[in-house]
Parts: sequence; C-alpha cells; structure tokens
Amino acid sequence: MRRFPINWILFLTLALAAGFGLGLAYSWLISPVTYVNANPALLRADFKDQYRIVIAASYKASHDLARARARLELLSDTDPIGELSAQAQRMTGAGELFEDTQPLAQLASDLQQGVANTAIINTNTPTASVSFVSTPFAAIGITPVRETPLAEETITTEFSEPTVIPTLSFEQTPLAPQQLFFTATPRPTSTSIPAITMPFTLIGQDPVCDIGLSPGLMQFILMDSRRNQAAGIEIIATWSGGEDHFFTGFKPELGDGYADFIMQADTVYSIRVVEGGSFVPNISAPTCTDENGANYLGGLLLTFQQP
Amino acid sequence: MTSSKWITILVTALVGIALGLAYGWVIAPVQYTDVPPNILREDYRADYVLMVAEAYQNEQSPEIAARRLAIFGSETPAQIVTLTLDYATNNNFTQNEILLLQGLLTAMQTYQPQGNDTP
Repeated sequence: MRRFPINWILFLTLALAAGFGLGLAYSWLISPVTYVNANPALLRADFKDQYRIVIAASYKASHDLARARARLELLSDTDPIGELSAQAQRMTGAGELFEDTQPLAQLASDLQQGVANTAIINTNTPTASVSFVSTPFAAIGITPVRETPLAEETITTEFSEPTVIPTLSFEQTPLAPQQLFFTATPRPTSTSIPAITMPFTLIGQDPVCDIGLSPGLMQFILMDSRRNQAAGIEIIATWSGGEDHFFTGFKPELGDGYADFIMQADTVYSIRVVEGGSFVPNISAPTCTDENGANYLGGLLLTFQQP
Repeated sequence: MTSSKWITILVTALVGIALGLAYGWVIAPVQYTDVPPNILREDYRADYVLMVAEAYQNEQSPEIAARRLAIFGSETPAQIVTLTLDYATNNNFTQNEILLLQGLLTAMQTYQPQGNDTP
C-alpha cells in the first residue's frame, strides 16, 4: 500500500516529462517559430557585406552622411567604420575592382571625419529625411520583442548610439500593415568643400630603420591642405620590371591617408600620386644596420601634402 | 490500473505537451541568426531597394542594380521594385524617392541579363 502512491507519482512525473519533451520537440524541431520581419542586424555575414556595399553606393550618389550612418546602424555592428574598412580591405584582397571598394573606404573615411566628401558631389538628387514609425505588430499569441525600426530615427550629425535593438520580432501571422510617416526634415545643405584636385607635394622623405617592420616597407601619408589625412588617393609605383597601383585609406587603423608598398632590394622606383600628378623619381629602399652591425633592408616614409 | 488512472496520466501528458509548446514557442523560441534577406521587414526591404535606386541613378548600370536586388531570392528585379514602388506610394515616400524607384523599375523592366536569349 505504501509503494503504490510513489509509483503513481512516478507515472505522473514521467507522463509530464514525456509530454514536455514532445511539446518541445514539436516547437523547436517540427514547427519552430517562423521568423518574419527580421531586421538587417540578423542578416548572414555575406548579406551584411552586400548591404554595406549598397549603403556605400547610395551614399556615393546622395552624399547624405547622416542617412548612411543611420542605415549602417541597422546592422548593429560594434564598429561600423571598422567593418566598412575591413570589408574594403577584404574585397581589395580578393581582387575586386577599386570602383567597387572605393565607396566603402570613402564612406568609412567620411564617417570618421564626420564630414561628407563633396569632391564627387551629385547635387541633383535632393532626398528627404525619412522617419519611420511603425505600428506594433498584431501578433497573435506571441508578444513581439520590442523593436524600433528605422523607426523614429532622428538623423543628427552626431554619431549616436544605434536606436535599433537587434532583436527579432517574430510571429506566426502575416505582416501587420505598417504606417510610415515621413517628415520633410531639411537635408544638410551641400557645404561647398573644395574637391581634392590640388597636387600633393612631397614634404618628407625619411628612412625608417625598424627591424620590426617588413623589409623594404615604403609608407605613405597623404594630407590635404588642412593636414587632414586624405583617403582614396591613388598612388602608382613604377620600376623597371613593372608597376603597381594602390590607394590610401585601406588601413584606417594606421590613418585614412596611409598606404604602403613593399620595395625590393636594389630596385629603383618612381612614385606618382595620381591626384594632382605629383611625381617622385629615384626612390629605393635604404640599408639599415642593426645593433649587432648586420645590414638589413630598411623602409621609407614619404609624406605628401596639398599646398 | 483503472481507466481513470490512465486518463489522469493522459491528461498529465497533455499538460506536459502544452508546457513544452509554450516553452518552445514563447519562452525560448528558436533563435535565428544569419537570416536571408527575403525575411526582412517590409520597410527595411523598401529602404534597401531605395538605396539600390539611388545608386542606380548614379551608376546607370542595370546589371549591378539587378545583382543587388537578386539577394531577395526568387522574385524578378522588376517584381521587387514594383512591390517597393507600391509600398512607397502607399507610405508617403517623397516624390523624389518615388521618381528614383520609377527610374529603377523602368531599367529593370527592360533589363536583359547577359547571355539570356529569351525575349
């Protein structure tokens, strides 16, 4: 008589556990929550890359830095500028065309400086500021997680914290209609900033003897007339055996106006900065001596500035 | 065991199933990451297509625009832009934005992928 209730409790517990397991298997494996209304932060990495490319291409057309910034915030990257730069470097490393990578580098540079580069401005496309206010989802059974979409994003010129919470709204019902309200917030006017057309002048040519650097590393720093580093400037190195093109700004951690190139020993190079046509002939890697008296191939630091 | 006890066990199991479903659907639903773009919310999709339209106006390359729109999956680029244009019209997009989308739609309607011989 005493063992029967214990068995009975055991039966009930097993029944409850089995039922719970079945329910869980059904809800996780057989019919999991169907996601709709995802936000861009949840996109797969390659789609995020594509999203950034389109943001940069759109920015290249509109030069609306605030809007580009707001759009980037949707991806919820920890370091949006770093992600842009890293993607530009990855694409360059993968052999993609400069035309494809330059908008990313340019956007990263402009975000860092907080100023839209108007050197390639297109003034024929005034765009209106967009504020989205979406109505709450009419979720049935499941309360959506708080979601602030592009929603009510006040576009400012300061780099604000993302207003988008990278959480999913999910529901198992069709989309609820959303209302969008657009406010005609005046666009930032096209501040006239002179395009980068003045020639860069070589203002420094310094040998760099640092055993920690790659042998023959030629480093470039390009600055505009206000001593701001200039990104996206094409540099051509030529030597008797060939030619190489590269651009400033692909290593933003070293500066927007930074670029580098590896020289070979006993090779004479000519350097040309395409923007403005500055030309520096007869460049070669210096020979340095370490503390033990051994020679090694040193580097060079070339500094250019617009007058 | 008597039938009443079997019924009790069955009811207990049903309660367990209900708890399991509630836990799996509401409390701890499957967490998705790396989602494809075709489940982006409608306003994000519209904004993406608008960006493509802005870029297209500058680049004038239907091929690039079509490739960018292709991330939405099986719909044709023209269908994607048409849906976005409807959305934009119904949601007070600015006239300039609608014009951009119309320009992109025209390009996508006449765009023929290279190597496609079908009319």
